[in-house]
Amino acid sequence: MKTLLQATTLALALGVMPASAAELTVVTAGDQNMVDYINEYLGPLFEKQYPGNTVRAVGTGPGDAGSQKITERFEAQAKAGSEKWDTDVAVVHEKFAGPMVQAGYLEAYRPNIETGKLVTRANADMALGTKVSGYVMPMFNSQTALAYNPALVANPPKSYEELVAWAKEHPKQFGYNGIKGGASGVSFVMGWIYAFGGSDAAKLMNGPFEEAEIKKWDGAFASLKEFTQNATLTPGNAGTLDLLSRGEIAIGPVWVDMFYSWQADGRMPPEIKLVLPAPGMPGQPMHYVIPAKAANKDLAEKFVALATSPKVQGEGIVKRFNWYPGIDAKYVQPELDEASWNKLFTDIEPEDLAAKGKTFPIAPYNNAILEAYERQAAN
Amino acid sequence: MSKRLLGLILVLPALAVIVLLFLVPLAASVVGAFVADGRYGLANFEKAFALYTQDIIFTVVIVSFSTFIIGALSTAIAGYLTLGENPRAVAILRWLYRWPMFIPFIVVGQVLRTFLAKNGLMNNMLIGAGLITPMQASGMLDWRGIVIAFVWKQTPFVTLLLAGAMASLDRGTIEAARNLGASRLRILLEIVLPQVATTLVVGLILSFVTMMSVLSVPLMINAQSPTMITADIAFRINAYGDYGVANALGLISLGVTACVAWIYLRQTMKERA
Amino acid sequence: MTALTHSAPSRLRFDLWWLPRGILLGLLAFAIFGPLANLLLWAVTERWYFPHTLPLEYGFSFWARVFSPRGNAMESLTNSVIVAILAVAVSLALAIPAGYALARLKLPLRGLILLVFMIPQAFPNLPVYVNVARLFYEIGLNGTIAGVVLVHVTHGLVFAVWIATAAFAAIDVELEQAARSIGAGPLQTFRDVTLPLAMPGLMASAIFVFLESLDEFTGSYFVGAPDVNMLPLLLYNAGAGGNYQVASITALLLLIPSVGFMLVVERFLKADVLSRVGR
Repeated sequence: MKTLLQATTLALALGVMPASAAELTVVTAGDQNMVDYINEYLGPLFEKQYPGNTVRAVGTGPGDAGSQKITERFEAQAKAGSEKWDTDVAVVHEKFAGPMVQAGYLEAYRPNIETGKLVTRANADMALGTKVSGYVMPMFNSQTALAYNPALVANPPKSYEELVAWAKEHPKQFGYNGIKGGASGVSFVMGWIYAFGGSDAAKLMNGPFEEAEIKKWDGAFASLKEFTQNATLTPGNAGTLDLLSRGEIAIGPVWVDMFYSWQADGRMPPEIKLVLPAPGMPGQPMHYVIPAKAANKDLAEKFVALATSPKVQGEGIVKRFNWYPGIDAKYVQPELDEASWNKLFTDIEPEDLAAKGKTFPIAPYNNAILEAYERQAAN
Repeated sequence: MSKRLLGLILVLPALAVIVLLFLVPLAASVVGAFVADGRYGLANFEKAFALYTQDIIFTVVIVSFSTFIIGALSTAIAGYLTLGENPRAVAILRWLYRWPMFIPFIVVGQVLRTFLAKNGLMNNMLIGAGLITPMQASGMLDWRGIVIAFVWKQTPFVTLLLAGAMASLDRGTIEAARNLGASRLRILLEIVLPQVATTLVVGLILSFVTMMSVLSVPLMINAQSPTMITADIAFRINAYGDYGVANALGLISLGVTACVAWIYLRQTMKERA
Repeated sequence: MTALTHSAPSRLRFDLWWLPRGILLGLLAFAIFGPLANLLLWAVTERWYFPHTLPLEYGFSFWARVFSPRGNAMESLTNSVIVAILAVAVSLALAIPAGYALARLKLPLRGLILLVFMIPQAFPNLPVYVNVARLFYEIGLNGTIAGVVLVHVTHGLVFAVWIATAAFAAIDVELEQAARSIGAGPLQTFRDVTLPLAMPGLMASAIFVFLESLDEFTGSYFVGAPDVNMLPLLLYNAGAGGNYQVASITALLLLIPSVGFMLVVERFLKADVLSRVGR
């Protein structure tokens, strides 16, 4: 018993000290390319800078389901009373950062790392209405937009109104995935409420929550129901991309990061373009978080610091994936040549992004919109 | 030692695994289904029925229909494997039918999505072969896609069980009936099938249960509403973190399967009595 | 044998029956291999989109991605196969006595017991796994092969127990009684008479448990990862995200142990059946 105790104290002491050879476990939600990114790019880079340590990545699957599985993993360890958790760094969707902070699973590490100062965007402090400042560092910002086939859509709709008019003339040519098959469809619905809901979009995004707002949306959902009857429903985020790539629909909402991955992997014709309609569609960051009971907390902080350094954000996130950086753009831009930087804005210009790149509504509105859709617009 | 006690001892290890590793962890969920807003009650079930009655009916109809087709196809295939007279055709069929069984459901969803779509590989092949024109091509990514996916994946499963049971039957009665001039269809339906009915029903029930619990197929193939219960459960959890309604839906799904299983259990009980 | 002598003379003339047979087999082949062709094509596709019927460019760059040294695909595959084999062994060890008892011995609440085995398949697992993971963290089973095997066993048992019960129930009681009457003990009777007769069913259930284990990813993630990585997790990530190439390659990899296991089981079965015929 005594030796066991000694062994544990020793292990604990080792855990606090910068361990000489640790295995850093990074659990990430998102597509397989997130796992590949950590395994093939970030991991080797980190191991070179901090020799003797190894990085291993575990993927939990795309979409909210992936982040939900990370939340549940934390919940299981919290309930079991584990002293050392088996996750050092996790990458989760914005929506799950708030609940994780509220449940007390996370470490407020941002003040400890240098790159923490390089983030000023509001969504690094608030996540769907919950204060998360200090607990998260954005890995990248993603955005939903409409992807369209220029051969079939000569003048892409610049706003939701134009889209409605266009879809009326071209039945079944617009496709989206409802709300159960992934967040690109959800995002389209949120944009619809921003456009036609009669609520102030800023209030939906920043709060406060008032029951009365919910009543205002009835008309918007009725028109959405009618609109949906004239649209093609697709199976999931990937389903929208799939139908676009095989020419069955001409336009549909997609995640910009997924869209570029599909093009890079040869599953999407290079001609397909993006447009961000007014008043805008939501986007969200993916956040790096560190559990409060991570076994290698020091190393985890170093890992996130490296991952959010301007150089890695430039080379890894922008150049490699064509994703919007997580830290402020002005720190990243100098790291890149002009061509790589401008490629980010091929279809959607920075001004468009600033004006029409919205966030998701705060959690209570978010849930209310989804439930209202289920009750009123699903047919 | 009484037979009863011996029986219990033999069942106990397997039962213990299920109880400790599934039923105990499940208990928390089951209780959760009856708790809404911190109070015990049926609110979660009311919400589940209010929002998802259509989906529940859809699920039962789709899965029952698929089970029926699987039963018919597997009987036909296993029957030919047992009674077929051309050894070459039997060998080809035996080699052919099993492949889909080895493809995981999530890949079944993927290959059928890209196969059955309007501009998918199937229509492209048919158009290429001149069998249909591009104008006639239509997609099947709706309830038909789900049924096709289920039948594609589960028919080999039931057939494998059924063919095994048929192969171990006594050939004597079959040969006798054959000599009396009975057609092979009659032999299959009147002599062979009654003897393997239990195996067929067990295979179909296991298929039914499996199909009720598959998430990837409805998610990847069926875009339309209504959808299957599993998709609703995943949605409740992932979108709202709402375990209450999710567990209520889980219990409803369990109830449906229990009803189906009960039919079989009652029948075997009667046989044993 | 009769079939052979029968077909020898008819080989010379055209067998008209091949017409419907050929059409039916052809349709079946299309239904089965059409989707599979899709899988094979995607596995070697570099670029493929509308309006092209076939891939624009073939290659193996995605194979390089799957097999990259840090991707651990081979380690995951090995883990998956070990877990599947162990899950089959444990399931059968539990299911054979249970199935025999359920089929042959008078048990109270027999129907209920059979239903209980069905629950892990019938109830959606996600809400349950959190609790299972919590339990395993407490007793130190998380991140071990044993833990993953146990989770897969709970799922496989419904196949193993139900099929074993049906297989034992189908055996004629008189055969056992005959063995007992010529002096064989109960264990010997079970080993020499009952078990061999139930073997085809048991082996079929072994195949299903094996496949079930190779398909499972939710439990594998909660209980296995990050220490025990399983191939279906990669398959799920790629498949759910629409990464057709990686998902197809992974599915092909998983096909090797599945088909291999079935061939082994079949060889074993055939020898067994033949030996019984010769006796």
